[in-house]
Amino acid sequence: MKKRIISLLLAVLMIAGLLSVPVLADTEPLKVALVVAGTFGDRAFYDSSKEGLDKLAEECGVEPITIECNNENHAPQIRNAADEADVVICVGWEFYDVETIAPEYPDVKFIWIDNATSEPVENVLNITYAQNEGSFLAGYIAAYMSESGIVGAVGGEDSDTINDFIVGYEQGAQYFADKYETTTEVVHNYSNTYDDPAAGKECALALIDKGADVIFQIASAAGDGVFEAAEEKGVYAIGVDSDQKYINEDVIICSMKKEVGDSIYAAVSELLDGDDSRWGTTWVADMSSGYIGIGYGEEGSEQQISDDLKAEVADLEEAITNGEIVVETTR
Amino acid sequence: MLKTILAAIFSAGTFNQMLRSATPVALAALGGAMTEHAGIMNIGMDGMILMGAFFGVLGSYLFGSAAAGVGLVLLMGVVVGLFFALFVVKFKSDEFIIGTALNTFALGLTSFLSRAIFGASGTKGNPALPTVHIPGLDSIPFLGQVLNDNSLFIYLTWLLVLVMWLFVYKTPYGFWLRASGEKPETLRTAGIAPEKMKWLASILCGLLCGLAGAHLSLGQLQGTFAENMANSRGYIAFACVIFSKANPAMAYIAALMFGFFDAIGLRLQDYISSDLTNTIPYIITIVMMVYVVVRSQRKKRYAGKRLPAKQG
Repeated sequence: MKKRIISLLLAVLMIAGLLSVPVLADTEPLKVALVVAGTFGDRAFYDSSKEGLDKLAEECGVEPITIECNNENHAPQIRNAADEADVVICVGWEFYDVETIAPEYPDVKFIWIDNATSEPVENVLNITYAQNEGSFLAGYIAAYMSESGIVGAVGGEDSDTINDFIVGYEQGAQYFADKYETTTEVVHNYSNTYDDPAAGKECALALIDKGADVIFQIASAAGDGVFEAAEEKGVYAIGVDSDQKYINEDVIICSMKKEVGDSIYAAVSELLDGDDSRWGTTWVADMSSGYIGIGYGEEGSEQQISDDLKAEVADLEEAITNGEIVVETTR
Repeated sequence: MLKTILAAIFSAGTFNQMLRSATPVALAALGGAMTEHAGIMNIGMDGMILMGAFFGVLGSYLFGSAAAGVGLVLLMGVVVGLFFALFVVKFKSDEFIIGTALNTFALGLTSFLSRAIFGASGTKGNPALPTVHIPGLDSIPFLGQVLNDNSLFIYLTWLLVLVMWLFVYKTPYGFWLRASGEKPETLRTAGIAPEKMKWLASILCGLLCGLAGAHLSLGQLQGTFAENMANSRGYIAFACVIFSKANPAMAYIAALMFGFFDAIGLRLQDYISSDLTNTIPYIITIVMMVYVVVRSQRKKRYAGKRLPAKQG
C-alpha cells in the first residue's frame, strides 16, 4: 500500500514537472546551436567560438546548444542542430554540406565559420578570416626575434585554410628580411592531426633540428606539443587563434588572434536586433575590423617582445589595414 | 639535392624520433602479443592506450608524482584486462565487438573524466617521467646522441621485450599461454584450464597497453592529456603483432620500423606532399601483411615438398 502511494505521488510529481515547463517560459528565447567540427578543449579556435556563444547566452539570453562532431558525421550533425535551433553556427572549414542542407531549412539561419559556400545561399552567412594578415605580423615578429635566421611553422594539415596562415607568415618573415637586408628562412611541416600533442611535438622538434628558433603553431590541440618542444629546447613559440600567452608565458612570445567568438557574437546580436542583411553574403573578418591581430598576453605577463618591435608591428598593422601592404592568400 | 635529403633523413634527430614514436606502439604490441598467443584477437588496444595516458596524468596530478601516475596506470591496466577478459573469456562474446566497444568506451570515459576534472582544455605540465643519462655513452659519436638522455620508458621497453620474450618462449607459463591459443583442448587434457591463461594474457595486455599510454602522456609529453590522443597507435600496434607473429622481439623491430618511417615522413614533407607522407604507415602495414601471407604460403609449399621425400 505504502509503495503504491509513493509511486502515485511520484507520478503526480512528474506530470506536474512536465506541465510546469511551458508555464514558466513566457517568451521563447532564440535557440542558437554551435556545431564544431572537432571537440572543445583546443584553447583556440573551437573554444573561442564557445566563448562567443557563452557571451550570447549570458548577455542576450539566447538558449545555447552545443554539438561536437569529433571529426565525423558533419552533415547529420548540421541536420540535428537545424531540427532544434533557430540559428545554426557551423565552426570548421569541413562543413561543406551546409550549402545543400541550408535550403531544406528556410526558417533556420546558418553561419558557416572559416569557409564559404561556392554560391551565396539566402540563409547562410559565411564568415572567413583574414588569417593571412595576422600571420604576416606573426612572421615579422618571428623573423625579428630569431637569432638563427630560421623560423618555423607547424600546420595541422595541408589545407587551404592552414596554408593561408603559412603564406602570410612566410611573407611577413620575408618582409623583415628585405627591410633589414638580411636573410630569413621559413621551414614548416604538418602534423596531420589536431588531437595528438605528441605528433605536434615531433613536428616542432624536427623543425628545431633544422635550426628554427621561433615556431608558430597552427595545429589546435596538437599545438600543445609545439609549446612543450619549445620549452624543452629553449626556443620561442607563437600561439594561434586565442591569446595563448597564459599557457606558457616563458615560451609563447605572442599569439596570432583570430576572434571567432567575437565575430559570432557580433553576427548573432545583429540578428537579435532584427538585422539579417549579412545573410546570403560572405563576411571577411579582417584586421581593419579588429577580428584579426596580435595578442601579447594579459597585463603583467612576462614580455619577450620589446616596445620597439610592438610599435613596428602596430605600424605594419596600419599599413595592412589601409592597403599599403597586400598580403597573399590561398583563398 | 639528394645529399641534403639523405642528410636530413639520417640525422640523429630522425633516430631520436624513431625511438620516441616506436615506444608506445612497441609496449602496446607486447601486450597485444600476449592476447594473440592466447588466441584472442584484440583490437581494443587503442582504448587501453588512451586510458593509460589519462590515468597516468590523473595519478601524476592527484599525487604529484609520475611514479604514482604509473602506479595508477598499473592498477587501471589490471582492471581493464579483467574487464576485457570477463566479456571475451567468461561470456565468450565476440572479440571484435568487445574490442571496438572498449575503444569507444575509453574515448568517452577519458573525455568525460578529463572535462570533469581538468576542464575542457585537458591538462598539461604535471610531473613527468625522468630522462635517463648514461655516463660515458656521450663519448660515442652519433650512437651516444641517439641512445642517451631518453625518457625512462624507452629503456624499460628494452627490458620488457627481453622479459616477455623469455616469458613466452622459455617458461612453462609461456608454453601454456601459447597452447591456450593454439590447442586449448590439449592444454586442458594436461590439467591446465586454457581460460586461466587467457585471463592472464588479458591482464598482461592491459598492463602493457597502460604503460604505452603512460609513456605517451608522461614520457613523450610532459604530463599532458588531450582527448583522443592515442591517435590510432593501438591499430598500428595490432599490425606489429600480426607481422611479428606475436614474437615480442620481432614486434619491437616492427614498431621501430613504424617509428622510423614516421620520422622520415615528417622530414620528407619538404619534398613530397604531406598527404602522401601521411600514408606511409599504412603503406608499410600493407607491405607487412603481404610479407606475412607470402611467408606462410612459402612455408606451406616447403612442407608439401618435404613430405613425399620422407615417404620415399
